[in-house]
Amino acid sequence: MEKSFARNMDSLADIFVFLNGASESFNLDERTRYSINMAVEELFINMIKYDSGGTEDISVGLQLNDNRVTVRLVDYDSEPFDLTDLDEVDIDAPLEQRRPGGLGIHLVKCLMDEVSYQYKDRTTRIRLVKNL
Amino acid sequence: MLEIDRINQNEIQLKGHFDASQAEKASAVFDTLESSSTVRFDHLDYISSAGLSVLLYTQQRLSKVGGILRLTGMNPHVRMVFEYAGFDQIFEIE
Repeated sequence: MEKSFARNMDSLADIFVFLNGASESFNLDERTRYSINMAVEELFINMIKYDSGGTEDISVGLQLNDNRVTVRLVDYDSEPFDLTDLDEVDIDAPLEQRRPGGLGIHLVKCLMDEVSYQYKDRTTRIRLVKNL
Repeated sequence: MLEIDRINQNEIQLKGHFDASQAEKASAVFDTLESSSTVRFDHLDYISSAGLSVLLYTQQRLSKVGGILRLTGMNPHVRMVFEYAGFDQIFEIE
């Protein structure tokens, strides 16, 4: 299943409808649904925030194979931003030193079993795998 | 969609889906808290990092005046996100 979404915050509602429909047809449990919804939100928001000048829609796809769900996000008009190569967030830091930056990507890595990034010809492809 | 009910001066109830598109609306309410307060999560189904950021900012602001946020009634999935973020160490979660 695959669908494209306009690169703005208002698309989130439609993205969740799409993801919930896919989760329903794959018969995924609540925890897996939550994890996929959150990972896609974090990555989509990241794409529109850091490539606000991009003009192309962002594609979101889900596939169920052999007890694993593969999620793909493709941004056809983007700058390179390797989310697998970011500094780790210090989740033990005291309150006054906490910063929200990087938290979303940190959570994606916690929630998913595999996260991979590819960049070529202005196109960013992110592939996530969640084992069931 | 997120509903934010201000139960009283020091208590907020969140209902529904707290995603990035709701952060601005939520900030406007959380910014009015002036001292230690309780946030009820009983009817909150979902929160992402945008929601966590609103709570973090509020907790940091209140801590400067000796206040804290108490978070109650989280479902297990929301709780999982707090733990992955290490937010269980900087919030009082009941």
